[in-house]
Amino acid sequence: METLQFALRKLLYSVPLLFGVTFISFFLMVYHGPDLTYTILGKNPTPEQIAEVHRELGYDQPFLKRYFLFLKEIITFDFGSSISSGEKVSSILKKSVPVSFMVALPAFILSNALGIILALYAANHRGKKNDKIIMVMAAGGMSVSFLMVVIAFQIMFCTSYGLVDWFPVQGWISPPPDYPDATTGEILYYYWYYYWSHVTVPTLASVFVALGYNTRFFRAVIVEELNKDYVRTARAYGVSNRKIMIKHVLKNALIPISTRIIITIPFVIIAGNLVVEKFFGIPGVGLVTYDAITNGDLPIVKAVVTSTAVLYVIALILTDIVYKMIDPRTSYNQ
Amino acid sequence: MSEENISTGRDSLWSKSRRKLMRDRAGVAAMIVVGVYGLIAILVYLGLIGENWSTLGEEGFGGMSSEHWFGTNINGQDIFSRAIQGIKTAFEVGLVVAVTATAIGGILGAIAGYFHRTIIDEVIMWLYGCIDAIPFYLFVAAVAFSLKGTELQPWGMHIAMIATFWSSTCRIVRGEVIKIRGLEYIQAAKAVGVGPLTIVRRHVMPNTTHILLVQSTIAFVGAIKSEVILTFLGLGVVDGVSWGTMLSESTSDVLRGHFGNFLGASGFLFVLVIAFNMFADALQDALDPKKVSS
Repeated sequence: METLQFALRKLLYSVPLLFGVTFISFFLMVYHGPDLTYTILGKNPTPEQIAEVHRELGYDQPFLKRYFLFLKEIITFDFGSSISSGEKVSSILKKSVPVSFMVALPAFILSNALGIILALYAANHRGKKNDKIIMVMAAGGMSVSFLMVVIAFQIMFCTSYGLVDWFPVQGWISPPPDYPDATTGEILYYYWYYYWSHVTVPTLASVFVALGYNTRFFRAVIVEELNKDYVRTARAYGVSNRKIMIKHVLKNALIPISTRIIITIPFVIIAGNLVVEKFFGIPGVGLVTYDAITNGDLPIVKAVVTSTAVLYVIALILTDIVYKMIDPRTSYNQ
Repeated sequence: MSEENISTGRDSLWSKSRRKLMRDRAGVAAMIVVGVYGLIAILVYLGLIGENWSTLGEEGFGGMSSEHWFGTNINGQDIFSRAIQGIKTAFEVGLVVAVTATAIGGILGAIAGYFHRTIIDEVIMWLYGCIDAIPFYLFVAAVAFSLKGTELQPWGMHIAMIATFWSSTCRIVRGEVIKIRGLEYIQAAKAVGVGPLTIVRRHVMPNTTHILLVQSTIAFVGAIKSEVILTFLGLGVVDGVSWGTMLSESTSDVLRGHFGNFLGASGFLFVLVIAFNMFADALQDALDPKKVSS
């Protein structure tokens, strides 16, 4: 009950933030956005047609009315239809969000898990040689551009110029060939096989780029925790190093770590990964958004930007609730 | 009194930091690398080198030669000159974004921190909260949409980066100023009747300079790296050549086995970014008076 109250209060506090992000999206993309009249009508429309489209798109409405219409679009999740394909934006997203999620998930888990493990190891050996090696590698990983890594990994793993030529250069799982006597197991194996053949290289590239940042951040958090008095006390009592690291330090460091992880979720799922999906031709939100950006397909960009931002605000509320669950000391009244 | 005594008597935090920075060998090396890049950027800017970047050659994908150090691209243009031009573009983007974003963040952060727990603070916090909620690349796309057809269109990328990069500086400066505002010299200034904005400008902001220095190096690196991705996405550099345009070109080159563009651009980019990152780290260590370096 108390948690529910807490959650409701957090929700109430986030109203100004929700207002802000929707207002910025509205101002940039709807009010000040490109005039779609001629994109829809083509050249030489009659004045009646123009007036008709203006009324449909709400261009003849006053500023505030248009903002409220935009809010209505967000709440009903009805952003209209794509300009280039005519398909409903919501149905486009329904198809592409799961794809993005599936592509992003392995990299997301791996980069965070490996980051925590490396950070724990480095923090435990801080100042020593292995710590320095890990930190130099992290700095190197932070200094490459994502685009460079993607190109390099594609050369290395997908072409005959590189180390191995195991993976396809581009593409995504196509529906399985229609054999009448294929068993469920075979079909599952088909999906499993092609899933990894398309996802492995993007995952490796994403992990490579994210790992440096994650390790550095997590290590800083853990080192800060290690310098606290309770660690010294525990050592004085003769608690084993392993137990201190896992049971005390990691547990306390989980607060900032989980904040970072939760906050990145909406960006990972909805915004997808523009570069990876464009580069490897994966039909997720990233590729849809890329095409929308290059074609000037406003409804899609509008939908993606707004829904990611709203989800981000919700993730912020979630972190506060998770804080509360991880650390009982956090006051409900804050 | 000897000369030595006088100089130690005037030992400020700044000169201490400078000495600490000079003792950091990796930091000095990084500084030299950044300096060389900066020099090249100036020379290119003045039109002394790398002028033939757009000259079309007769054959595409030429190999390395004494004439073309990194070979030529699909149009027979010299990749080395293009990479050198890329340095100029990178510094242009990096400097514009870093200076403006850090200045905005520093000023707003100082105001928010000084007027902590008032409506001014709330508004500024709300502002950067909103900016942080929108994914960066999509925000750039939104700004690009908004500026389409106006005379600001080529500056869309810069504007979007400035509009997003100030928030981290603002957050850190605000935290620091909340600490500073409780100190005695601020109280003294208030007691003798100095106005709040004068206090912020003259007594608070100079004490955040070390944060601004470090943050501007971070923003510089962020701007260069974002430029590459944004150009690949078609939202970045419009005219001229940058490492982003070269890497975007190279995405089709490499599948045909031509690595000149890729290696040229990524080599220059990687060295500059790693040098800047190392310099930022060294700067951070040197400017932190609490940290006693070994």
